[in-house]
Amino acid sequence: MNGVVVVTGAARGIGRAIAEKMAATGPLTVIGVDLAPELALAEQITPVQVDLTSQEGPAAVHQAVEASGVPLIGLVNNAGITRDSRLVNMSDESFRSVLEVNLGAAYRLCTELAPLMSDGASIVNIASRAYLGNFGQYNYSMSKGGLVGMTRALALSLAPAIRVNAVAPGLIASEMSMAIPEETRDRMVSAIPLERMGTPDEVANLVWFLLTPLSGYITGEVIVVGGGRSLS
Amino acid sequence: MIHWAPEVSDDWGEVLAALTRAFEATRAAAQAGDSIVYVVHNDDLLGRRGAGKAMVAAGLLSAARTAALEGIKDGWTVNVVAFSAGTDPETVADWADHLIESSDVTGEVLRIGPDHIGKALP
Repeated sequence: MNGVVVVTGAARGIGRAIAEKMAATGPLTVIGVDLAPELALAEQITPVQVDLTSQEGPAAVHQAVEASGVPLIGLVNNAGITRDSRLVNMSDESFRSVLEVNLGAAYRLCTELAPLMSDGASIVNIASRAYLGNFGQYNYSMSKGGLVGMTRALALSLAPAIRVNAVAPGLIASEMSMAIPEETRDRMVSAIPLERMGTPDEVANLVWFLLTPLSGYITGEVIVVGGGRSLS
Repeated sequence: MIHWAPEVSDDWGEVLAALTRAFEATRAAAQAGDSIVYVVHNDDLLGRRGAGKAMVAAGLLSAARTAALEGIKDGWTVNVVAFSAGTDPETVADWADHLIESSDVTGEVLRIGPDHIGKALP
């Protein structure tokens, strides 16, 4: 593969693992959105710090892609936040901020960058197993379900030139999951058939596969990386 | 509370407004202990009528599953009715009423019409 791949939420966790995996794979340029320059470990990773919920954010990423001088072959929409509470207590602000970051920013970036993508390019949206439902996450669950809907619609409208898929991680050892109280986290792990949290690298491996021609006949799918939790 | 997903364009502002109205109505219903049904178009769960409508329909389905989990203890339910093109709206309304009345079914999507057969599970 030769070209540029954009990864949002690249500063930490799953996004960082994806950016590093892509940077280590062949002659690729990786644009890491939300990545501070001092955190860019590999020289192939170009950091871009923008607010993707603003009008200017996606346009700035567009400019960075054009400045790279190579074709855009991949986009990974990974940036996400949580603002958990029970539905009956959920504030308007918690609802809106999660929808704007997790869904609106991803949609805006797809709209901005799709015209730049070359034939055979691939978009991967990082959803969550919470799209199947998760207590205390009405806003997050809705945003990730929306991302699944967007994935399906874009898979149809951008075919055959561009493939679009979603990855839905379950409990992954990241900053976000480490914020969960230990007792709760242990209880969650005990419900996972593989008896452990996943790693960011295990998600990155699947994203890498979906970005490469090895997955050339896969589009519009949602693949869960959850250790079997959807069955238990 | 029966909430019909509105027809939206692919404009993000319209999508966010539609999802926000659903959230506000659902939160009020949950606070009152009322059961909830979202009504969406089958085609939108598969993304066949554009990204805006797909984000609303699939977003509502996921939100329904989460709200259903939260309602178990308090005795209210949340379900989704997904109808195919050409379905009589009265038929849809009848099924939605039936789900509102039932305390045994929650977190489900009931598809009316055959369009979903052989297609992706939502």
